[in-house]
Amino acid sequence: MADRQQQRTRKTTALPFGLGIFLCSMALPGMLAAAEGNRTEKTIEVAPNPRVTVSNARGQIVVRGWDKQQVHVVCSVLSPRVEVDSEVLPPGGPADKVHFSTHILDPLVSGKDQTADYSLDVPMGTDLEIRDTQGSVKVDKLQGDDATVETVGGAIVVSDFTGHLFVRSIGGNIDLIRAAGRVEAYSITGDLHFVFPTTSKLRATTTSGRILFEGDFPDGGDYSLSDYSGDMEIICPPSASFELNAKTDRGKLENQMPMTIRHQPATPISSANSLFGTHLTGKATVNLKSFSGTIRIRQR
Amino acid sequence: MSQQKTAAPKAASETQLVARAQRGDEEAFAALFELHKRRVYSLCLRMTGNTAEAEDLTQEAFLQLFRKISTFRGESAFSTWLHRLAVNVVLMHLRKKGLQQVSLDEVDTSQDEPVKRDYGDNDRRLMGSVDRISLTRAIAELPPGYRTVFVLHDVEGYEHNEIAEIMKCSVGNSKSQLHKARMKLRDWLRQNEGLLTPSEPVTSDQTPTER
Amino acid sequence: MEGTPRYRTAECDRFELELEAYLEDEISPTVPAHARECVFCKVVFEDLTALRRAARGLALEEPSPVVWANIRAQLSAEGAFAEKAGVWSWFWQLDFLRRPAPAAAFVCMVALGCWLTAARNYPQPETAGSLAASTSEPTVVRSMAFAGGALGLEKAVRGLEAAFKVRESKLAPDVKATYENSLNSLDASIRECNDSLQREPGNSLAHEYLFAAYSQKAEVLSSALEIDEGR
Repeated sequence: MADRQQQRTRKTTALPFGLGIFLCSMALPGMLAAAEGNRTEKTIEVAPNPRVTVSNARGQIVVRGWDKQQVHVVCSVLSPRVEVDSEVLPPGGPADKVHFSTHILDPLVSGKDQTADYSLDVPMGTDLEIRDTQGSVKVDKLQGDDATVETVGGAIVVSDFTGHLFVRSIGGNIDLIRAAGRVEAYSITGDLHFVFPTTSKLRATTTSGRILFEGDFPDGGDYSLSDYSGDMEIICPPSASFELNAKTDRGKLENQMPMTIRHQPATPISSANSLFGTHLTGKATVNLKSFSGTIRIRQR
Repeated sequence: MSQQKTAAPKAASETQLVARAQRGDEEAFAALFELHKRRVYSLCLRMTGNTAEAEDLTQEAFLQLFRKISTFRGESAFSTWLHRLAVNVVLMHLRKKGLQQVSLDEVDTSQDEPVKRDYGDNDRRLMGSVDRISLTRAIAELPPGYRTVFVLHDVEGYEHNEIAEIMKCSVGNSKSQLHKARMKLRDWLRQNEGLLTPSEPVTSDQTPTER
Repeated sequence: MEGTPRYRTAECDRFELELEAYLEDEISPTVPAHARECVFCKVVFEDLTALRRAARGLALEEPSPVVWANIRAQLSAEGAFAEKAGVWSWFWQLDFLRRPAPAAAFVCMVALGCWLTAARNYPQPETAGSLAASTSEPTVVRSMAFAGGALGLEKAVRGLEAAFKVRESKLAPDVKATYENSLNSLDASIRECNDSLQREPGNSLAHEYLFAAYSQKAEVLSSALEIDEGR
């Protein structure tokens, strides 16, 4: 706190002393001042199941779960005209909500100069919301209730997450590794890659990106994967037990898993390829849909 | 199950609905949902104590039902089939959340408090009627293992042998967990006596009878 | 009660052990006999009886209408309904409704679509139910309904595109490029779906993807308009 006040005092040396003190006292609690390509570090005590949000224009955000009841952030900015603010609620005592946001103070700052990189350690049970316009986001080893990660062009990688995960990128690729709980993943042009998920429910859509799914389908799982023109590849073990509902309008459907044909559509779509079948005892449900992409299902 | 909680639809018309649903008739799907939604939702709500989870699980149970409806052959009543499916959906969800629901045999009872006996405090009794809202709240407060067996037996009417099969435990374990669940509920309701509904004083008619 | 013991006895212990079995309708002479003698154990019995009675009488709860809407949408998307694959099913699968701006745009689309459709095609409001009821000419009805609905969607998306044209010059070049790529991809899918529907008006998959593409386009455009670049 003392360091921050000194920095603000330095910036306002031209102002009357009283006004400077007034401005200092008006500073939001937990403000992280950025000066000369600054690296700032802060630790905030939080209550159980806090909500942590980050809003960033450009730069990498990395979030990891840890076992302390604290949020620890390290933030690096390239330009002195880029500032990172933090807001902590309530102001006193362990926080329920912590918000970090990047502000570009000078409209002339553009491109890479806008970069602010964040590295956060958050407790298990954190509700997380990350928005990074043109930067990549990584989330690792977090057991939370809810996590939302959104980028415009940046790639998103989430590994070993448990909870309800909502991930969206307009153009970035999305990689989800060993996710558990419930997952929703959406992109328009980005590829979607799922590695060994153990989710009870998975919804994923991309328009022109590809979808690659590697892993098993847990009993009772409900998986829906959809793309428009990209290819879709499902690689699962011979022991995977699932009911399959697959259809494509113009693409091809290539299946290597032995299936018991379960149901034919009442009115087959004239130019569609479709397969409704059961592999082994059909304990999970897998819905695959593509308009013009090829759907491939094969054994690992 | 030994009792039905709702007035069951006429068996013939439900059979017709099931047959139509098996042919993909959307209206039949909707009618079956309408007939059974409250029973399934109430079960999910009472077993999880959470509205959002209960709605998700209700949705999941009906989705699984409709996807598997072509496999229903009428060996049991449709409502029984649906209800058992819903119970399995909830239990799977609870297992995935890491709650000790896999087997009641594994529930640690060493921390259970002994049954409270308020000797000399004859006035603090439930006295013949329990406020419905209080009971719902009290059920939500139960540990998951107790809550499951209480809801399945006393609310939903499952027999102990059915609960034992569902919960992969012994019949004896199911019975003892039920008794403990009831005693915990009683304690909770007594402690929150502001929620209790006072009733008429006990008469000799309510004295337990010889068996 | 006169003569009632007011301290715990061995009989009370035995009563408690056998109460569980008694409540399961098993034979147990100890339970009723002791309850007549001990007012405290009788209270326990009466409490548990009241509890069981209340549990059996618990009212059923009603889920919200969203539950059926989600079920219907999902089954429709899976093709579970005969000849009634969900034209509307993609609506419920989108998270599009999470944010105010796209949600407002979506409401405008639906309202516009309903107004245009009602005015031009139907003597009654267009609903999924009315689509389902049109069994005599399902293909024709579906394409007419869709034409009405899509026109509304198109108009709303055009409005968002105009706003985006104004905004896009302010976006960073790489951000602008990402948006343009995604919009091009969506436009391509809209063109292909329209071509498909011209050849096969009853192609339900093309219907679904066309509606989805318009909705996703609206969402992408709205997100571009909402971007906060930290200024």
